[in-house]
Amino acid sequence: MREPNAIDFWRGLALVTIFVNHVPGNTFERYTYSQYGISDAAELFVFLAGWSIGIATRGRDGVPEPRLKTVLRLFSRTIEVYRAQLTVMVLALAMIAGTALVLDNPLILEWHNAGTFFADPIQSIVGVALLSHQLGFFNILPLYVVLLGAAPLFVLLARDSRTMAMLLSASIYLLSLIEEWNLPSWPGQGDWFFDPFCWQLLLVLGFVLHDWNRESDTLRRWSRRLFPAGVVIVVVGVVLSVLEIRPDPLAVPEPRLLFTFEKSYLTPARLVHFLGVLLAFGPVYPMIAPRIGPVVRYLARLGRNSLAVFSMGSVMSLAGQLLRFWTGGGLLVDVIVVGSGVFGLGFTAWFVEWRSRKPGQRA
Amino acid sequence: MSRHPATRVLLAAALLCGGTAAAEEPQASRQAVSPTIVSPPTLPGGSPPEAGDASLSPECRVPGSQLYTLAKLAAVKAALKDKRPVRVLAIGGTSALGASATYPVKLENALERSLPDVDVVMEARGLQGEVAGGAAERLRGMVAEVEPDLVIWQVGTHDALARVDVDAFADALDETVKWIKSHDIDVVLVDPLYTASLADDAYYSSIVRSVREVAAREQVPLVLRYEALRYLAGRTDKGEGHMLGRQFRLNELGLRCLAEHVTRAITLSLLQPDATGTVPGKATPAPVTRPADR
Repeated sequence: MREPNAIDFWRGLALVTIFVNHVPGNTFERYTYSQYGISDAAELFVFLAGWSIGIATRGRDGVPEPRLKTVLRLFSRTIEVYRAQLTVMVLALAMIAGTALVLDNPLILEWHNAGTFFADPIQSIVGVALLSHQLGFFNILPLYVVLLGAAPLFVLLARDSRTMAMLLSASIYLLSLIEEWNLPSWPGQGDWFFDPFCWQLLLVLGFVLHDWNRESDTLRRWSRRLFPAGVVIVVVGVVLSVLEIRPDPLAVPEPRLLFTFEKSYLTPARLVHFLGVLLAFGPVYPMIAPRIGPVVRYLARLGRNSLAVFSMGSVMSLAGQLLRFWTGGGLLVDVIVVGSGVFGLGFTAWFVEWRSRKPGQRA
Repeated sequence: MSRHPATRVLLAAALLCGGTAAAEEPQASRQAVSPTIVSPPTLPGGSPPEAGDASLSPECRVPGSQLYTLAKLAAVKAALKDKRPVRVLAIGGTSALGASATYPVKLENALERSLPDVDVVMEARGLQGEVAGGAAERLRGMVAEVEPDLVIWQVGTHDALARVDVDAFADALDETVKWIKSHDIDVVLVDPLYTASLADDAYYSSIVRSVREVAAREQVPLVLRYEALRYLAGRTDKGEGHMLGRQFRLNELGLRCLAEHVTRAITLSLLQPDATGTVPGKATPAPVTRPADR
C-alpha cells in the first residue's frame, strides 16, 4: 500500500466534505469549506481524478505504458465506476422506498428525483441503466463514467501533444458554455446535474498538469509566484459566498453561462476560484503533514480507496438524511450521523485494503 | 394551436364569461352540501362545511377555500393579450404510479382545456436540493434557461425532508419568489403534501405554513396541496384499498388531481381584476385551518 501523499490526502478531504455536504441541514455542514467559496469539493474530486490518471498510466520510471494497456485500464475503471453507480442507485431507491413503507409516509418517495422512479419504473429503470435518470446527490458517478469513458482520447492525444489535448478540451468546454450543450435527463425533461462536456475540462487539466509537473519544475515555480493571487481569489470567494453575492442569471449578458456561478456547467467563475484554491492550498500539505499524522493517515487511506469510500459515503449520507428526518434532527443526531459517517468511511477504506491483501497476509 | 384571430377573441370572451360563472359556482353550490361528504374536516367557528368545487372531477372535488388562494397573474395575462404562447416552467417531482410522468402533460392539457385557444408550452424540471441550500440558485439558472411567463413551483418537500431551519427556508423562498417576480414572471406555489404520519409534526406544519405566508406576502397564487389532501383524506373512501396502505392511496389520488387543482387556481387567478380591486374573499388568503392548529 502506498504511503500517504498530498493527492490522497486532498482526495480524502474531498470525500469527507462531500459526505458531510450530502446530509443537508446538518450542523457540521457550515464548517465545510464548500460553504466559503464559489467552487466546492466536487471540483477537487474531479481534478484529482485527472491527476491520478496521469500517475496510473505511467510506470514508476515515468515511462508511459503501452497505448492499448492504457485504453484497457481506463475501460476497466469505467466499468468499475458504472457498476458502483448501479449498486448505490439500487440501494438508495430501496432505502427510500423501505423508509416510506416503514414510516407509512409517501412524502419520502418524493426524495430528490426518486419520485420519477417510483411513478414510472418502466421508463426509469432504463434511465438508471443509461445513467440518464439520476437521484439528487448521486450525480457524480455518472459524470465520472462519461469522463473515464472519454479519457483515453485525451490521454493518448496528450502523449503526442499536451497542448492539443488541452486545446481540444478547452474548446469543448467553451462551446458547451456558449451553446448550453449538456446530456439530457430521461425520463422527464432537463439535463444532467454535472454537465460532462464542461466538467471534462477539469479532468483533462488534472491529467495534463500532472504530466507537465513530472517533466519540468515550471509549474511549481509559477505556482509559488502565483500564491498571492491564489490567496486573493480565496478571500474574494469567502466574501462573495458569505455575503451571498452572485450574478443574476437573467441580468448577465449572453452567453449567460460565461458569467453565472452555476455548478452544473463548471462556469468560468467556479473554475477560476478552484484554480485559486489550488494555488493557495498547494503548499499547505507539506507544512501540516508532519504535525497531524493520524489525520493524514486517515484521509490518505480514504483517498487511496476513493471509489469504495465515495460509494459507501453516498449510501451512508442517505441513511443519515433519512435518520435526521425520522428523528427530527438536532445536534445529538447530527453528531451521531457525522461521527458514524467518518468512522464508516474509514472502516470502508480499511476493509477494502484488508480484503485486497493476499489471504496469508490478512491479520 | 393556431386559429383565426377573431375566433381567439370570441373564445377568450367566452372563457372569461364562463370562467366568471365557474368562479361563482362554488359559492352558489355551497348551500347544497354534497351528501358524499361523510366526515369533512371541521372549520373553526362551526361554519357549515363547504361543498367541493363542482368544476373539478368528482374524486378531486375540494372546496375552493381549501384548494387555493388567488392573486394576479400579470405576465400570463400579458401573454394572452399578445396572443402568444404561454410558456410554463413546472418545477418539482411527484411520486404516485403514473402521476409523475404524466403530471406535466396533464397540466398542459388541463390548462389548454381551461384556456381555449391558448397554446401552453410546458417545460417540466425536477429540482434537487433544498431551497435553503443550493436549489434556489439552480432554480434561477432554470428560469434563465427557459424564460417562462409562469413558474409553477411545488416547494417545501426537500427542505422538510432535510429538516432545514424553517426561517432559512422561508427567507430563501421569499427571496427567490421576489426575484422571479422582479423579472416580470408569474409564480404559482404549490405547498407540500398532507399525510397522516406528519399531521402532528409541528416542524412539518411550520414549513407548510411558511409557504403560505410567503405566498400571501408576495401576493402569488398558492395551491393548498396540504389542505386539499387533508380534505380528501376525510372523505368516505375507506372501501377503496391500496396495496401499500391508505396514505399511499390518498397520495396517489392527490397527485392525480394535482394538475386539475393547479389549473383551477390559475384560471381563477387570471380572473383577478387588473386594478387595485380584489374579488372579495378570493385575493386574500382563504380562511382555512392552519396545519399547526391541529
